[in-house]
Amino acid sequence: MLSRAVLSTVATAAPCVKNAALLGPGVLQATRIFHTGQPSQAPVPPLPEYGGKVRHGLIPEEFFQFLYPKTGVTGPYVLGTGLILYFLSKEIYVVTPETISAVSTIGLLVYVVKKYGASIGEFADKLNEQKIAQLEEAKQASMKYIQDAINLEKSQQALVQKRHYLFDVQRNNIAMALEVTYRDRLHRVYREVKNRLDYQIAVQNMMRRKEQEHMINWVEKHVVQSISAQQGGVAQRSFEVAVVTFLWHGCKFRAADVKVKILQKSSPPSLPQG
Amino acid sequence: MASVVPMKEKKLMDVKIGELPKWILMRDFTPKGIAGAFQRGYYRYYNKYVNVKKGSVAGVSMVLAAYVLFNYCRSYKELKHERRRKYH
Repeated sequence: MLSRAVLSTVATAAPCVKNAALLGPGVLQATRIFHTGQPSQAPVPPLPEYGGKVRHGLIPEEFFQFLYPKTGVTGPYVLGTGLILYFLSKEIYVVTPETISAVSTIGLLVYVVKKYGASIGEFADKLNEQKIAQLEEAKQASMKYIQDAINLEKSQQALVQKRHYLFDVQRNNIAMALEVTYRDRLHRVYREVKNRLDYQIAVQNMMRRKEQEHMINWVEKHVVQSISAQQGGVAQRSFEVAVVTFLWHGCKFRAADVKVKILQKSSPPSLPQG
Repeated sequence: MASVVPMKEKKLMDVKIGELPKWILMRDFTPKGIAGAFQRGYYRYYNKYVNVKKGSVAGVSMVLAAYVLFNYCRSYKELKHERRRKYH
C-alpha cells in the first residue's frame, strides 16, 4: 500500500516519465534516506582489565560490602555458616549418596583450579597477546604502506616543479646542435670558396709558368740557332748577355739554366741538350 | 508522600520498601519489555564477569552454581522422600 502511494506521488510529480512501473522498486528505495544522523565519534572504551571481584568463586564482593556496615567483616561468613547448619538440620538440603559424589567432584575441581588456574590464565593471555600483536602488525604495515604512498606522491609532485631543468637541458642541447651545424656549414663554405680561389690562383700560376717556359724555350732555341749560325763575335756576345739579362728579369729561376745552355752551346759540343 | 523524585523511573536500589508494589506495577510487562529485561540482565552479567581481559573462573562458576541450585529446587519434591527423619 505504501509503495502504491509512493508510485502515485512519483507519477504525478514526473508526468514526463512514460513508464512509471519501471521505477517501482528503485523509487521506493530512493525515497528512504539512510544514515541521516551523525555517527558517534566517541572512541570505543577499552576492555576492563579484571572482572567484578568474587570471593571464593561464588559470591560477589558486593554482598560482603553490603553487609559490612552492619555486621563487620565476619558477618557474611556467620550468615553462611548459619544458613548451612539450618538447611542441614531442617533437611532442606537432604544428605543423599549424591552428596558424597558432589563433595568429591567439587573438591577435585577446586584442587585443579587452585593448582593450574594461574598457568592456564597465562596461556590464555599469551594467545590473546599473539592475536593483538598480529593485528597491530597488520595495522602498522598498512599505515606504513599508506605513508610510503603519501611520500612517493609528495616527491613526485615536487619533481613536477623541477621539470624546467629538463627543458633547459633540452633547449641547450638543441642550441648547441644548431650552433655546431652552423659552424660546420660556415667552415664548408669557407673551404669551398678557398678551393675555388686556389684553383684560380693555380691556373694563373700555371699559365704564367707555361708562358715563361715557352718563352724561354723559344728564346733559347733562337739563341742557340743564332749562336750556331754565326760562330760568335762581340755583337753576339753582347746580344747573348742582353738576352740572358732579359731572361733574368723575366724569370729568375731559369736564368742559371739558360746561361749554362748558352755556354754549353758556345763551347765545343759535349752533350746534346735534352 | 514519596521522596523528592521527578519520575518513577528509578532503579530498584533507590526504591523504598513502601513504594515497591507501585514500582513493580509500573514496569513494562509486554513481551518486548520482558525480552528486553532478559537481554539487559544477560549483558550486565556478561560485561561484568566474562567480557574482560583477565577473566577468572568465577564468571562460569557462578552460573553453574545458580543452575545447580535451580535444579535442586526443582527436584526437591522427589528428594523430600529421602529425608532421614520425618519431623524436624
